[in-house]
Amino acid sequence: MSVFTLPQPDREAQLLPRLVELTERHRARSAAYANILAATGNDPGRPYERISDLPWLPVRLFKTHELKSIPDDEVFKVLTSSGTTGDVSRIHLDKAAAAAQTRMLGRTLQAVLGPKRLPMLVVDTTAIIRNRRSFSARGAGVLGMITFGRDHVWALDEDGRPDLEAVRGFLARHGGAPFLVFGFTFMVWLHLYELARANSLDLTNGILVHSGGWKKLADQQVDNAEFRRAFQADTGLTRIHNFYGMVEQIGVVYLEGPEGASLYCPDFADVVIRDPRTWEPLPPGKPGLVEVISTLPESYPGHLLLTEDLGVIDGIDDGAWPGKRFSILGRLPRAEARGCSDTLVGAA
Amino acid sequence: MRSVFPVAADPGVDLTADPGVERLLAEITDEPAGGRLTVGDERVREFLIAFSRRLLKPDLARRHPELGSLGFFLRKGELARAVERLGDGVAGQRRAPRGLVLHFPPANVDTIFVYSWALSALAGNHNIVRVSARAAGAAQAVLEALNDVLAEAHPAIAQTQRMITYDRDDALTGALIGACDLRVLWGGDQSVTELRGHPIRPLARDLAFPDRSSFAAIRVAGWQASTREQRRAAVDGFANDLYWFDQAACSSPRDLFWIAPTTVTAAAPTADEVTADAPTADGVTADAGAADTGAADARSADAVTTARAEFDELLAEVVARRGWGVDPAMAVEKHVATYGLAASGAATKVRFNGNAVANVSLAGLGDVQRRWLGAGTICHLTVGSLAELAPAIQRKDQTLSHYGFTMSELDDFVTTLAGRGIDRIVPFGRALTFAGTWDGLDLLHEFTRIITIQA
Repeated sequence: MSVFTLPQPDREAQLLPRLVELTERHRARSAAYANILAATGNDPGRPYERISDLPWLPVRLFKTHELKSIPDDEVFKVLTSSGTTGDVSRIHLDKAAAAAQTRMLGRTLQAVLGPKRLPMLVVDTTAIIRNRRSFSARGAGVLGMITFGRDHVWALDEDGRPDLEAVRGFLARHGGAPFLVFGFTFMVWLHLYELARANSLDLTNGILVHSGGWKKLADQQVDNAEFRRAFQADTGLTRIHNFYGMVEQIGVVYLEGPEGASLYCPDFADVVIRDPRTWEPLPPGKPGLVEVISTLPESYPGHLLLTEDLGVIDGIDDGAWPGKRFSILGRLPRAEARGCSDTLVGAA
Repeated sequence: MRSVFPVAADPGVDLTADPGVERLLAEITDEPAGGRLTVGDERVREFLIAFSRRLLKPDLARRHPELGSLGFFLRKGELARAVERLGDGVAGQRRAPRGLVLHFPPANVDTIFVYSWALSALAGNHNIVRVSARAAGAAQAVLEALNDVLAEAHPAIAQTQRMITYDRDDALTGALIGACDLRVLWGGDQSVTELRGHPIRPLARDLAFPDRSSFAAIRVAGWQASTREQRRAAVDGFANDLYWFDQAACSSPRDLFWIAPTTVTAAAPTADEVTADAPTADGVTADAGAADTGAADARSADAVTTARAEFDELLAEVVARRGWGVDPAMAVEKHVATYGLAASGAATKVRFNGNAVANVSLAGLGDVQRRWLGAGTICHLTVGSLAELAPAIQRKDQTLSHYGFTMSELDDFVTTLAGRGIDRIVPFGRALTFAGTWDGLDLLHEFTRIITIQA
């Protein structure tokens, strides 16, 4: 059963009471969260008419504070993300939450992969999960996806070089029927695309799922349109699905629809684009900060998070799937102070 | 290594690496044309006066108002008074320059290096200033102005006063430090500590200006006794203190203490907090404190509430009038910081007045904030008296900017402090005005040594 079914009015009606419930749940179980609600004037019983009226947390708060709604002895897994500045988000899951996130991620991906596990080509190196020291956000992302495929083949060797023989072998065995290709956007472009083009590999039956953003490809002048065009023209690959997600809302992926233009929200999620000056929700076409909304987080107060990503709503209930469709436009720069405490970079 | 003052006639001249630092040190320690520099040296004075005139020219002062303050600081009369205060030659005491002074100014406060360099030069020292490679805006304008007036200056200036820039280079830093008689370290604690890793010569000294923190205080009775215009002017000054340097300077106030005699503290929230704070995490209402509060306390809380409301309103006016705002990245930064204070319980209330002003109510004196929380973040706390504030003051605390106090109240506060902290107490609007006495040190004194004479 697809998780891309709810038109916006139904989604709003279904999610709002559930999100209010989650707000109360976390208020009752997380003193830190309760403190924030109290300090910002969000008292219990305050009525909320729209999802966008609900109080959000800045996502970076998970890097500076421990925010969880479960007792220590129920913590089953702590997910971490390495940020660009070195500080790390810590997301606490209990058993139920860990199971729920995997289940919902699986159901979301079924929308493009179908009900059965497909042979999987991973555009990365096993070193990324084998070497514990370099066990990074990239490694975690790969590990999270790997359960959704079978007969995995790694497209890069231990040293991170494209492994043509491995890819050829994979295609010889599985290339005749649908197969899954997964990797980070820049890895897929730099390694798989170049390899496939140079060696005339046929990826026609592939379903590519990728994520990570375009920043690392900006200097190569590659955007989503060029990425899709080149893959189709040079490898025959047409089923390409970018997704947007973050460790702070694990289990939610905002997935590119079959037409490949916008990201869609699964039924248990939504987005609001906010004007960073007034914090009011913005209509389609107006860029602002992305607030991600999900009913999954039960073990930590991550159901309403203001990200530092800039995005825009492309349309509502007018695309391949129902609900809002949106695009990510980039990232807000980190604020810098020019005080006398921040000084002498490279002084000594 | 590149010289940014003097800029060589041939800009391609690069005082690179090895022969560079040796040549620089050889040239700068050589006896200058016209003889050794003296305390209050005429050649230096003339140069500083010409530089001051240049800074006060309308074009420059308009573009960089902070250079105007610098220009005033270096006027002829100011220099003369500063030298006179040194007391060279009075009652068997003479003053002598220290020798070679090496300055590591902060990278981000554009102009502070000029103050410390100018005073050191006035004291007759030879100076090497390591200017940040990121020098831009006002700092760039300063360097241009210095180079402009150099053409008319005595050749001793170019010979004894050098400003250089270089990327991280431990060997070069070590060589410079090993040659100086006084090292002036500005910046964060970490960079000060790092630079201190390089040994100085046995007779050399350190002058360090590391991380500091600063506050503001309003005496509510003083506020009440003021006219609307006086209050407006006070808030205007406070806004300057708050927003200059994105509130990240050592002297930028982070907290604002409302001093009102009958104290209403965390146990009994101030009137405006009672409503917001009443429901607590476990659903128990916290109005017991309010019920216990006597009539006098209620009146006092009322006075604070009224004063704070007017203050908010006036601050919003100033911010709107000056067109000050913060960009989305700064707004996010402030949300992260202030929500974090709420999460830990340090803040009982967080209210944004637009993105420009974030008002935080602190839970108590133990929660005084000293770190940067984003431009335009005010941590409010009502305290019964300055004396009650004193135990919370730390050595690191530098400036208290104030409104509504008398001189004797401030003087009593210093007595109560008993040396805990605080180096300067200034009215609203002056928090960031540099002075010859800084961080508790009379700079011109520090830049000289005393020779005692007994006949």
